[in-house]
Amino acid sequence: MIAVIIPMEQGLLLAAMLFLIGLAGVLVRRNILVILMSLEIMLNACGLAFITVGAHWAIADGQVMFMLILSIAAAEVAVGLGLLLQAHRRLGSLDIDQAGRMQG
Amino acid sequence: MTTGLTGTDLLALSPFITLTGVILVLMMAIAFARHLGLTCLIAALGLLVTLANILWVAIFVDPQLVTPLIIVDPYALLFSGLIVIASFFICLLAYNYHQQRGGHQEEFTLLLLLATLGGVTLAHSAHFGSFILGLELLGISLYAMISYPTQGLLSLEAALKYLILSGVSSAFILFGIAFLFATTGTLSFAEMADANINPTAVQGGVQGGVQGSVQGSESLRLYMLIGGSMILAGVGFKLSLVPFHMWTPDVYEGAPAPTTAFLATVSKGGIFAVLLRFFVSVDGYQYQTILDGLFWVALLSIFLGNLLAVMQSNIKRLLAYSSIAHLGYLMVAFLAAAEIGGRQLAIEASLVFLIAYFTTTVGAFGVVCIMSRKLAARDTDQLPDYEGLFWNRPLLAAFFAAMLLSLAGIPLTLGFIGKFYIFAVAVDSELWALLVAVIIGSAIGLFYYLRVIFTMTKRSSVTEGIAIPKAGGWSLVAVTLILIGLGVYPAPVIEWVSAIARTIS
Repeated sequence: MIAVIIPMEQGLLLAAMLFLIGLAGVLVRRNILVILMSLEIMLNACGLAFITVGAHWAIADGQVMFMLILSIAAAEVAVGLGLLLQAHRRLGSLDIDQAGRMQG
Repeated sequence: MTTGLTGTDLLALSPFITLTGVILVLMMAIAFARHLGLTCLIAALGLLVTLANILWVAIFVDPQLVTPLIIVDPYALLFSGLIVIASFFICLLAYNYHQQRGGHQEEFTLLLLLATLGGVTLAHSAHFGSFILGLELLGISLYAMISYPTQGLLSLEAALKYLILSGVSSAFILFGIAFLFATTGTLSFAEMADANINPTAVQGGVQGGVQGSVQGSESLRLYMLIGGSMILAGVGFKLSLVPFHMWTPDVYEGAPAPTTAFLATVSKGGIFAVLLRFFVSVDGYQYQTILDGLFWVALLSIFLGNLLAVMQSNIKRLLAYSSIAHLGYLMVAFLAAAEIGGRQLAIEASLVFLIAYFTTTVGAFGVVCIMSRKLAARDTDQLPDYEGLFWNRPLLAAFFAAMLLSLAGIPLTLGFIGKFYIFAVAVDSELWALLVAVIIGSAIGLFYYLRVIFTMTKRSSVTEGIAIPKAGGWSLVAVTLILIGLGVYPAPVIEWVSAIARTIS
């Protein structure tokens, strides 16, 4: 078997691109569901970064962190979806701009 | 690497085990009998037992690293003690807050304990794994605590805002950690410190590394800088420092008062504990760019926080802006730790300041909790709602006045001691610009805190129906006694804190 080694920089670059796509989604989109999805993309980009770095140093810490991130993202989304249902029921819309009653 | 846990490890970890045990007992109790009083009693007693356990560990167990993840030392134990005490008082206040609301209010206490466990984990973390675990345990419990009330839309909006922004900041922190991990090949603070102080060791590979793709200490420093900045951006959000402060007033206003008290104290204190430990152990202070950035963050937090607080007519928003300013003061002490010579004093200052901040904030939001016991779409947090409090409920008004004077830094309160320490370290480390900012900020602060006190002295019948409940009332008495007692005679605490600062610097 030939081991294909992907340089760490390229892996990190891909992760950074995913991260930026997620960030752009959070900033630009107005639908709460899509914002939660973009948040997932950001967290998973972090996971990818950890996998890449862990593979580079040949230690398991990266994968352990990935598992942690996976469970954190799941917990975050579980609460997020609960709030989303509440928002849909009480605001009658999933538009984040509807949630703007407080003034700075 | 350690293999398995020994008996002493378990003893050192006993506060965690106790707190987790209390959470399990509480969960079962709620499952079998829904009773708000019983739930809060179990939680409050459990927190007291945990506090006793922390004291026991502090006295009898030697400082040690338990697995690479958790460190048990006086610094961590001080923070977990503070967090547990704050949660204890908030638990009692939350009981009174929820008493007349009906519905299912028991789980709030459960979430409070889970978030406390997160805060304690943060205080003890010596590894990025436990840091993230504590951070998210705290954060995710907080989302639910913020959105707990089923009346009104404010809390729902606040929770949505906090969820999204907190998620983004966690992602920033994680990506920053990935960068540090890429440079040093480790996630533990201590090993990272070795790699940071002696970069050549990394290129050979601490872990018998593979192709050294991170070459030269220049690109190493760049990676560290990017990673460090991303982590600081995320942490700055959680501490509500200025460029990242936008969420603070909205979330403070929308969240129920006990949650706000918790968010303002435990969440910020726990995260600051990790930040300071990480920076001191890794010597993040060697990066001038980061120091310059933090200088502006501190300066802007003090000015903007105080200036915007002047314009508020809502107590919770006012306290939110004032907490932004207070975190700015705290960052002055954090920056003063940059020089090795002044580090011990600076750490001592930030610990004393945090103790004062915890006490005062719990007390101030405690008064808001007691004022807002009626079931309504929003808490009693408008300034006119407090008119006549001095004449109708003099005791409650006196507590609130004591808290506000402490926030303003008037002598004979704990807030003065904290503020005095900030002045002292700013002079000691010659941070003149920040010293001027702290002085101007305190002057502006005096104005808006006194305005609240004047509002309470107006003759009015608005506040006539307010009753002071037992649990919350006695908590406020205790907090006020701590506030004034330690403000008049701070020597024992200062001695103790300075001994702790010596161990960490």
